[in-house]
Amino acid sequence: MTDFSVRSDSVDVEEIMRQIRARVREKRGVDYTEEEIRELASVRLERFLDPSKVRSGLIEEFRRARQVSPPPENYDFEEHTLYASHRLPLLTRIRRLFNPVLKLFFNPNPLIRALHLQSKINQWQLAREPLDYEIMSNLVLEVTRLSIEVKNLKVRLESVATRLDFNEHRARALEGVVQYRPDAEAPEEPEAGAEAEAEGDEEGRDARAAARKRRRRRGRRRPGAGGAGPGDDAAAARGARAIPLEGAVPPPLDPARGDPRRVEGSAPGGAEATSGGAGTAAEATGAGQPPHPPTSATTPPEGRDEP
Amino acid sequence: MKLGVVVQRYGADVNGGAELHARYVAEHLARHHEVEVWTTCARDYVTWANERPAGVEDVNGVTVRRFPVNRPRDPVDFGRRSTVVFDTVHSVADELGWLRSEGPASSALVGHAARAADRDFVIFFSYRYYHAWHGARAVPGRALLVPTAERDPAIGVSLFPSLFREVRALMYNSFEERAMIQAVSGNAAVPGVVVGVGSDVPAHVDPARFRRQFGIDAPFIVYVGRVDENKGCKELFAHFQQYVRSSATRLSLVVIGNAMMPVPAHPRIRHLGFLDDRDKFDAMAAAEALVMPSYFESLSMVALEAWALGRPVLANGRCDVLRGQCVRSNAGLYYESAGEFVEVLRALELSRSLRHALGRNGHDYFVRHYAWPVIERKYLDMLDRLREDDRRGRPRSAPLPLPGWFGRRRRDRPPAADVLASLPTGPVLPSSRSVSPASAERRRRPA
Repeated sequence: MTDFSVRSDSVDVEEIMRQIRARVREKRGVDYTEEEIRELASVRLERFLDPSKVRSGLIEEFRRARQVSPPPENYDFEEHTLYASHRLPLLTRIRRLFNPVLKLFFNPNPLIRALHLQSKINQWQLAREPLDYEIMSNLVLEVTRLSIEVKNLKVRLESVATRLDFNEHRARALEGVVQYRPDAEAPEEPEAGAEAEAEGDEEGRDARAAARKRRRRRGRRRPGAGGAGPGDDAAAARGARAIPLEGAVPPPLDPARGDPRRVEGSAPGGAEATSGGAGTAAEATGAGQPPHPPTSATTPPEGRDEP
Repeated sequence: MKLGVVVQRYGADVNGGAELHARYVAEHLARHHEVEVWTTCARDYVTWANERPAGVEDVNGVTVRRFPVNRPRDPVDFGRRSTVVFDTVHSVADELGWLRSEGPASSALVGHAARAADRDFVIFFSYRYYHAWHGARAVPGRALLVPTAERDPAIGVSLFPSLFREVRALMYNSFEERAMIQAVSGNAAVPGVVVGVGSDVPAHVDPARFRRQFGIDAPFIVYVGRVDENKGCKELFAHFQQYVRSSATRLSLVVIGNAMMPVPAHPRIRHLGFLDDRDKFDAMAAAEALVMPSYFESLSMVALEAWALGRPVLANGRCDVLRGQCVRSNAGLYYESAGEFVEVLRALELSRSLRHALGRNGHDYFVRHYAWPVIERKYLDMLDRLREDDRRGRPRSAPLPLPGWFGRRRRDRPPAADVLASLPTGPVLPSSRSVSPASAERRRRPA
């Protein structure tokens, strides 16, 4: 809500309220518009709800029922109704004249008031009836919307649970790699570096420089974002030599990055990856840095991972 | 000038809105004129039972004369009469019976007002009570009225339009109140001014002291007033709990005032009960904002106090007066639904600059319109104007006599609720985007 950064002379409460209302509307309409919800409620309700219990065509049903048997006509009951006569207006006057005599026997006023009230109540009830159906219909719509939301959330929950399982398997496999294979590589890595140093040839230096460059670049990348993390050089080196342990889950094939499982064989680029990876791992351990845990059991070859 | 102030209850310990308003006005006018307050012996606004002794006493330097109430209110009778007057076609006799039943019916008070010819003007508070209607008729040509009218069906009772037309002047609380009264009575020709009331806000407040005393460290919003469903508190609690559920917030709701309904047991809702003024003002100064959930207000004094302290207000937008004040002052936000409450409160919580800007505007608004010198000046100007009119011999409108015995019993008065529904509604905004048809507003109101 940092967009409400304002100065006192520029505050416009009405403008802020317009923004807030727009936001409320936006939030309400994230998933479905009212029209879509209506459509869902009338057409696909049975998919989400038990149709024997909740019906979506309440208003139509109500209208049909009203056409078939309309409500009886309401009556008007006013103060003079009790004394009125359609045939003889004089009779009305006479009745009114004798009203005090009538009051000696009983008081008609409560009767008049009660009937007048009843007439009003009838009128009120009639006016209210469509509203009640409207409310019921809206409730059905709301229940539908909630059912859809619940269904969506269930799907998302299942998806998240599946991904969690997958990641757990993957993590267990990687732990296995770290546990069983570290010593197998440690003695070999300095040798590769030392050999290159001793030879002093141009190619070796270039290879190291290139490897250092690659390591720096990779160090800035988020682990997991591109699949290769900071410890991938060592992993690649291991991957070139070692067979994945039991339980390791092979990553999905990615045509853009090449099939990582090819690394184990002699696919094009595989040799380069092996030598580069070895050099990097040697450098890492030679510089006294702790070896990073590998993020992938089978990392793609070095050259393929460059942006 | 000698003035009388007539109000249903009076005392230093009476905290009702109109009563407090009357006390403040009486005490401030007493600095300029000779003021005497005439009131009842009642302390409880529901029963009007005579709990204080009749006679004369001094309250904060103002002479107060108390008169006994004829009889306490019978709630059953009052409820029945209210139904007749508000919801059915009825007669003037029904309305007079309703007014008597509502109380506080004190014929001694009205008689004293009629006899007190030495008073130049008599200021009546709260149009809807017995003392105001009968009292104003007893002092024709000398009555001023502070209506403190809210948007409730009483405004539709047919006795009152004549009262609004026959008094010498009206001191309105808000523009919305004036619009409503003018619409119901057509009294635009009667002198009137929108005044409101000031507040004795202390110059120095200590928010840290309040936090220490009540052990409140986290930021909070505060509600000050009677904790009552009629004040919108139930809705406030529901909305706030929804806010807590839907946001990662640290905000709490601190509730100050006597509870007429249960306050939910929620870890983020603290009910502190009734506090004295010092604690109340310190709490408001410590709060991020004041929340005002009431649907019906003629003027929210507590909102004005929050603005005086530079705090923004979060108000119920369905109350025309509160919404109008928020817009006119540019010092408060409002809500009309739970969704809006959540969004508005989130905006206030997360944006410090917004809070400060609204608070500053509120302070300026208070100083400009509701500081005591401004309020006093408006009252004094009005009194001077009326006196000048008297000197020039301008004719005064005399109260119309009531219909005869048969006329009073003719059932020809429309239900007060229908009259209310036909009145224009909506806040009065500076650019006259204001008044919307009543029907549209009714649709917005909850059932």
